[in-house]
Amino acid sequence: MLGAQLALNAVALGAAYALVAIGFVLVLNATTAVNFAHGESVVAGGFAAVALTGALAMLLPAGNAIPGIVLLPGVLLLTALLGLAIAALAYLPIRNRPPVSVFVTTIAFGIIVTNGLNAAFGAAPRAAPALLGTGTIEFLGVTASRQSLAIIATAVVLIGALAFVLQRTQLGRQFRACAQDPEMARALGIRLTRITLLAFALGTAFAGAAGLLLAHQFFVTPSDGAGLILKAYIAVVIGGWGSLRGATIGAMLIAFFEVGVASISSQPLAEGLLYVAVLLVLLVRPDGIFGEPQRLRA
Amino acid sequence: MSPSQHINALQIEGLTVRHGGVVAVADAALRAAPGAITCLVGMNGAGKSSLLRAIVGLAASEGDISLGTRNLSRLPIEARIHAGIAYVPEGRRVFPGLTVGENLLVAGPSGARLRRQRLDRALDLFPQLRPRIQDRAWQLSGGQQQMLAIGRALMAEPDVYLLDEPTLGLAPQIIDDVAGSLRQLAEEGAAILVAEQNAGFAERVADEIVTIQTGRIMPDRPGRIDT
Amino acid sequence: MNPSTLTRHRWPLVAGAGALVIYALFFASSYDQRILTLSGIYVIMVLGYQFIFGHAGALSLAQGAFFGVGAYVTGILASKFGTGFVLTFPLSVAGASMLALIVAVPVLRLASHYFALATLALSQLLLLIAVNWEAVTGGANGLPGVPPISIGDWQATRGLPLLLFVWGLAVVAMLIARWQLRPARVAAFTVMRDTPLAVPAFGIDPGLLRLRAFLLSAAFGGAAGALFVHTNRVVSPETLGFGVMITCLTMTVVGGRFGILGAVIGALLLTHLPEWFRGLDEYYLVAVGVLLLAMVVFAPDGLASFFKFSGSTHTPISTPAQPGSTEYAPPVASGRPVLEASNMSRRYGGVQALDGVDLALGAGEIVGLIGPNGAGKTTLANIITGIARADTGNIRSAGLDLARATPTAIARHGVARTFQTPQLPDGLTVREAVETAAANAGDTANVRGAATAAEAIATCDLSDIADTRCGTLPHGLRRRVEIARALAGGPHLLVLDEPAAGLAPEEQAEIAQILRTLAGSGLAILVIDHNLEFLQPLATRLACLDAGRLIADGPRDDVLANDAVQAAYFGLVMPTSTSGVSA
Repeated sequence: MLGAQLALNAVALGAAYALVAIGFVLVLNATTAVNFAHGESVVAGGFAAVALTGALAMLLPAGNAIPGIVLLPGVLLLTALLGLAIAALAYLPIRNRPPVSVFVTTIAFGIIVTNGLNAAFGAAPRAAPALLGTGTIEFLGVTASRQSLAIIATAVVLIGALAFVLQRTQLGRQFRACAQDPEMARALGIRLTRITLLAFALGTAFAGAAGLLLAHQFFVTPSDGAGLILKAYIAVVIGGWGSLRGATIGAMLIAFFEVGVASISSQPLAEGLLYVAVLLVLLVRPDGIFGEPQRLRA
Repeated sequence: MSPSQHINALQIEGLTVRHGGVVAVADAALRAAPGAITCLVGMNGAGKSSLLRAIVGLAASEGDISLGTRNLSRLPIEARIHAGIAYVPEGRRVFPGLTVGENLLVAGPSGARLRRQRLDRALDLFPQLRPRIQDRAWQLSGGQQQMLAIGRALMAEPDVYLLDEPTLGLAPQIIDDVAGSLRQLAEEGAAILVAEQNAGFAERVADEIVTIQTGRIMPDRPGRIDT
Repeated sequence: MNPSTLTRHRWPLVAGAGALVIYALFFASSYDQRILTLSGIYVIMVLGYQFIFGHAGALSLAQGAFFGVGAYVTGILASKFGTGFVLTFPLSVAGASMLALIVAVPVLRLASHYFALATLALSQLLLLIAVNWEAVTGGANGLPGVPPISIGDWQATRGLPLLLFVWGLAVVAMLIARWQLRPARVAAFTVMRDTPLAVPAFGIDPGLLRLRAFLLSAAFGGAAGALFVHTNRVVSPETLGFGVMITCLTMTVVGGRFGILGAVIGALLLTHLPEWFRGLDEYYLVAVGVLLLAMVVFAPDGLASFFKFSGSTHTPISTPAQPGSTEYAPPVASGRPVLEASNMSRRYGGVQALDGVDLALGAGEIVGLIGPNGAGKTTLANIITGIARADTGNIRSAGLDLARATPTAIARHGVARTFQTPQLPDGLTVREAVETAAANAGDTANVRGAATAAEAIATCDLSDIADTRCGTLPHGLRRRVEIARALAGGPHLLVLDEPAAGLAPEEQAEIAQILRTLAGSGLAILVIDHNLEFLQPLATRLACLDAGRLIADGPRDDVLANDAVQAAYFGLVMPTSTSGVSA
């Protein structure tokens, strides 16, 4: 019973991590840019939820709890705008420079977001409301937390919609063509800047959604970005650079690892072992576990 | 598509391209007529690639570029493509990680049905690609990649095809196939402009040959050039 | 640049440095002196970071970790055991370097973003350890009570003594950086950044070069961390936090990725900015982010680049020479082949790119390798030069097993190559590029350093453009520079991948003439090309590949008359197979 509950928690955590990792890969695939501000985008999503809760609470009569799911469209919108800002300020002006330049500008953007949030909200942890209320439901003899189930359902809907777009639509093919040879994509009439902006908006909105999902149980502090980008990064490395499916698998593995180790030991140990595992994985497979760099597959 | 009047000619007037301080193309004038293959021949560095890139908008230029009655010179790349120009660059530049089918579809118009029809047409012209439609483009040989690159251009059903050195690095047998497909596209009414330094190939396929030397288009020498 | 402009540009710097010294000695309050001391510490850290981030071009996020390790080594030894500076300082440097050496194995061969990730993971890991291993590190509070620096009876007390001591060490760090970055090595770093594919062809060992940069950055970082602890008198997890890394990165980007001036400007500016912008309060760090972003977008080479001379190139290291005096005879008994390869095979996925190919070349021989697209020609070149590995096969050249040696070792041994698309460092002149290849060629018998480079330039008729940057050269010349680069290593075997592609007939004739001269002086040459007009008069022997198999090998006219070759190459009969990987 306990095992099943732990597994459900791990799947929920993995689903949230998967949103982060997938958002990261989206930007990566459409632009080849590595967005180091992505962790801060998750944090921004969490604080967007906190801020929206505060704003709605003023409109509603006191005592009415606001379900987090109501906040989702607002969080998606706000973080999509943040994504557009990252693209416009930290990527588009230097898109033709060596990739390291983009690493540095997005790190700079992350610093701005972290410290801006820190100044506005303070350094203390904040919590977002649960998606569909707290408590548990009995399901096939298993006691499941409502929040975990809601996280999984939300992530499945978002990821499913995205997978459909990328695999079945012209837009998805255009995304991938732009990643592989942007100049040639333009020379085929694909509007590269539009695709780039869209990728940053979508990718950052996915990170923002994850921020809302995570900020109930795990709270959110302005300085959480570095750890989150690392997990997204690790998921992408494990799953193969540029692979959405791989990123999802990678995110699940990380979540199971974390929940598993934390349940028998402590959270810092889980995190530390995760970083050791990354170094070991890279030692054995410099291209990731499933990765074949040539194959950019949705 | 039948050879028809609605296909436009490409007309270039007073086109100058500069790379840094160096003039790559100087005051060039050129016309590529519908239904014909026009070959732009010249040595390496004569300015052929620069001229084609300027027409697509990949290189900045001064002067007039028009398609039919429409002036393209102020338009960004994407708009020129949508106006009816297709570009097959030197070195093929297919999307290596996309499948052969995706490489074709991505260049197609909006409308899934129309895209499928065009895909079929491209595969009819290059039947060698049909069995490999699920393969990734990087798995193709150089010759097959060249066919894919031409097929990809065809997906937009452009008025004008610009091909930069389509025979470079290809074995003689494959060059014949490329020549055949270009001839067929011309017969369907498109205007085709090929930059080529393989004079033998130019002589074989061209309806008209234009010579370019150190960035300047040479005065008309109708008929054949010396090889 | 003439001396007068040089003086003119240096003038404000000398004045600025003088003013700074006078300010530090006579006007700075004790608080100001502390800030200046910190600047000196960061100068050392940034000088180190320039090796890996600037010269090696890799975004390391571990510089903060090295700083932190240096800090904790000194902090723990000094506060718990009372160990003196004379011992703790070298141990801090050694500790950071050791850590770099250990992680270098998994981390250094990674491509850009993987490298950034791995170094970030390392930093986070160390931070976790520092916070959670309370018994040793003092946990979140750290360890107080670190004594001041003392050497013998002398003590670097806070204020001017410490300030002068730290800046003294900063000067030592500058001298070490200068010594490490001699012109030839700077050029090698440039090759590594500009043309990663061709690094082995220059005889450069990229792993070793990157390791050097990483170790130096760690050593400098560790030294800075140690000094920081003595200045603060306490060591805490803050020294391992991401903030230190961000500070270092910002200083390097703002000041400049290359050069002492960049390090000094970046460190001085970023340590003083918080003092000047106190009014911003908690938004100060937002402003730092904006500054970092703006610098990368608008002044990517840093503030130091505004002082023109700081980017000036090094002086040429060469002497004029006559073409063609080098002998390219192989170090083998005459009559023995220069290249002996048998049964070479290689599969890529489902495609047999090479299938049991035998090939031998003798000294002074020019062999043309022809075949349809995807026949495996480039694969063969890649296998001979070690860039790809054969699944099976015995490949030797003058005593070296090419199937096992690294690409760099193969190039140094005297097997040179050119690429289908010329691979030349945009940022170097022709002379610098060729000299870099000569300088890294190792102990090949045929190399006599810069003299060989000058000869190679003369042989390829490049003397007129020797001081032009490779990035500005047209295609035809780039091909010739590639050949000169290949010759600078004093090779006995030269593999050319489509040397005539994209060249005008006159340019092709020039290349052919150069190759004939080289063959005359003993060089064995394998030319891969399609262009029979180019090959026919050049090669005495032809080999033809089709679908990975060698279908003919022999005198030129025999091969051209061969039915199988006719079928495969000229398409007179449908070939048996058209599959193959891209050429």
